[in-house]
Amino acid sequence: MDLLLQDLVNGVLAGGIFAVVALGFSLVWGIMNIINLAHGAFVMLGAYTAFVLFSAWNVDPFVSVPIAFVVLFALGYALQRFVLNVVVRAPILTTFLLTFGLALLIVNIVLLVFHGDIKGITTSYSGANFSLGPVTVAWTKLLTLGAALLITALMQLFLSVTKTGRAIRATAMDIGAAQLSGVRVAHLYAIVFGLGAGLAGAAGALISLSYSIQPSMGDPFVISAFVVCVLGGLGSVSGALVGGLVYGVVEAFGSQYVGTGVQDAVALVVLLIVLIVRPTGIMGRAAA
Amino acid sequence: MKAGLGGITGNPVALGIALAILALLAFVPLLHNGYEENLFRGVLMFATLSLGWNIIGGYTGYVSFGNVVFFGLGAYTTAVMWQHAQVQNVAIDVVVAIVVAVLFAVVLGFPILRLKGHYFGIATLGIALATEEIIENIDWLGGGSGFTIRQVDAFWTYYVAMWCVCVASVLATYLIARSKLGYALVAIRENEEAAAVLGVDATKYKIIAWAISGAMAAAAGAVYAGANGFIDGPSAFAIDNNVFPIVMTILGGVGTVAGPVFGALILTAINETLWSHFPQIHTLFFGAVIVLVVLFLPRGVLWLFGVRNGWRSIVGSFGQYRV
Repeated sequence: MDLLLQDLVNGVLAGGIFAVVALGFSLVWGIMNIINLAHGAFVMLGAYTAFVLFSAWNVDPFVSVPIAFVVLFALGYALQRFVLNVVVRAPILTTFLLTFGLALLIVNIVLLVFHGDIKGITTSYSGANFSLGPVTVAWTKLLTLGAALLITALMQLFLSVTKTGRAIRATAMDIGAAQLSGVRVAHLYAIVFGLGAGLAGAAGALISLSYSIQPSMGDPFVISAFVVCVLGGLGSVSGALVGGLVYGVVEAFGSQYVGTGVQDAVALVVLLIVLIVRPTGIMGRAAA
Repeated sequence: MKAGLGGITGNPVALGIALAILALLAFVPLLHNGYEENLFRGVLMFATLSLGWNIIGGYTGYVSFGNVVFFGLGAYTTAVMWQHAQVQNVAIDVVVAIVVAVLFAVVLGFPILRLKGHYFGIATLGIALATEEIIENIDWLGGGSGFTIRQVDAFWTYYVAMWCVCVASVLATYLIARSKLGYALVAIRENEEAAAVLGVDATKYKIIAWAISGAMAAAAGAVYAGANGFIDGPSAFAIDNNVFPIVMTILGGVGTVAGPVFGALILTAINETLWSHFPQIHTLFFGAVIVLVVLFLPRGVLWLFGVRNGWRSIVGSFGQYRV
C-alpha cells in the first residue's frame, strides 16, 4: 500500500513535466496540424540553456526557466516564419519529415558544440526531501511540479484573455474567418510555434535538475507528448494537464510493476486502448 | 499530386531506368568485393522497405511510422528458425517471415486501421516500440542479448536473396498498382468515405495493403538477419530502418513504383559520401539534406521526369504550400 502511494506521488510529480511538454506539442499540432518531431530537441535545448547559465554564472535552474522560454520562443518563431511556413499547407507527411530533419540538425549541432558526454546540474538543495507519512517527496520534484502547474495556468490565461491568445483560438476554429477578421496567419503561426518551442524549453530547464543532460535526452519526450495529447484530447490546456498527470502515473506504475524495460510498452498499450475506445481523448471534444 | 507523376504506376521512363539499374545490380556479386556487396545489399534492402512503406503510406495514404516492426519480425523469424528449429535456408526463412508478418498485420489491422491520420501513425510507432520491448524481455527470443546466426551458405547467397526480394517487391507493386486493388487503395487515399459509398470495402483493402506492406518488410528482415549473422532488439527494430524508408519514398516519389527505388539509391549514395568524407558531422548533413528535399522537392525526384517547362516550373513550385 505504501509503495502504491509512493508510486502515485512520484507519477503525479513527474506528470507536471509531461503536461508542459505536451501543452506546447498540442498547440502546434492542434492549430497547424504539424507533428513536431523537433519538440524533444527543444526540450533538450532548454536543458542546455539552464546548464550553460548555471555553469557560467551560477544561475539557479528555476530562474533559467523564463530565460529558456524566451530563447526557445525566438528560435521557434524564426523556424516557423522562415522555414516551416513554406510547406505548412502540404500533406502531413511533409511537415513531419521537415521537423525530423530539423531535429537531426539541432541535436547534431549540440553534439558538435557540447560533445556527447553526460552533464548535470547540482544545486545546494539537490537531493533534499521530506516525508509525508509513508511517502518521501523530493523538494526539487515538488518545486518542478509547482512551476509546471504555474506555467500551465499562465498559458491558459494567455490563451483566454490576451488578443493574441484569442486570435490563436479563433485560427484553430476557422482559419478563413480568422483571416477575414484581420489575423495575419504567417505571423500567428510563427507565434504558435514559438510558444510550443518556448514551453518545451521551459520544461527542459525544469528537468535539468533531475535528468542527465545530453544531446539525445529529448527523444522520449516526443512520444510521451503524443501519448499525452491523445490521452487528454488535442488542443486543450486542461486536456494536456490531465493527460500529463495520467501519463506520469501510468509510467510510474508501469516501471514499478511490469519492469523498467517495458514502461514505454505499458504507456503505449494504454495509448492504443484509449485510441480505440475513446479516440477524442479523456477531455476531448466530440469532433477530433 | 499524382497528376505530375504520370498515372498510377508513375512515369514509365523512370520505371524503365529503375528496372535497368536493378538488372545491373544483379551482377554486383561478380565483383567479389565485400564492401560493394554490403553497400548494394543495403540499397536493395532499403528499396524493399521503401516499396513496402509505399503500399500503405503512399498508395493507401495511411502514413505508418512503425513499419520496422515487420522488418524486426522477419529478422527474428530467421533467428528463431535457426536457433530453435535448426533450419537455415534463406528461401524458407523468407516464406515463414512473410506468413508471420501477414498474420500480425491481419490481427492488429482490425483495431489499428480504424484510426486515421496522425493517430494511425503513432499507433503503428507504438506497436513497433512495444513489440521490441516485449521481444527483448522474452528469453526464448534471445532476451536482451540477441541471437547469433551461424552462416552456412556462401555470403553472396544473401545478396542474391535480397535482390530477388527487391525485384519481387517492384513487380508486385507494379501489378498491384494496375489491378483493382491498386485503384481501390488510391480511392481510399483520395477520399475514404466516397470510396466506401462506391462499394470499396475499405477495411478489407486497408488490411490487405498493410499485410502486403508488412510482407515486403519482413522478407527484407529475414534476409538481413542471415546476412548480418547477429540479431538483437536495437538492430532488428533500428530507428534508421523505420525512418529512412519514409524519407527515401518521399525523395523518390510517393505512390509510384520506381520512386522508392530511386529514393533508396540516391539517399544511400548521399549518406555514403557524407559518411566517408565528413564522419564527424555526417548526421548533421543528413538532417540538412532532409530539410532541403522537403523544401525544394516535396514531390520527389520522379516528378522531375514529368516536368514540362524545365526550370521554370521547378522554381515555380517552390512555396506552393506557403501560408
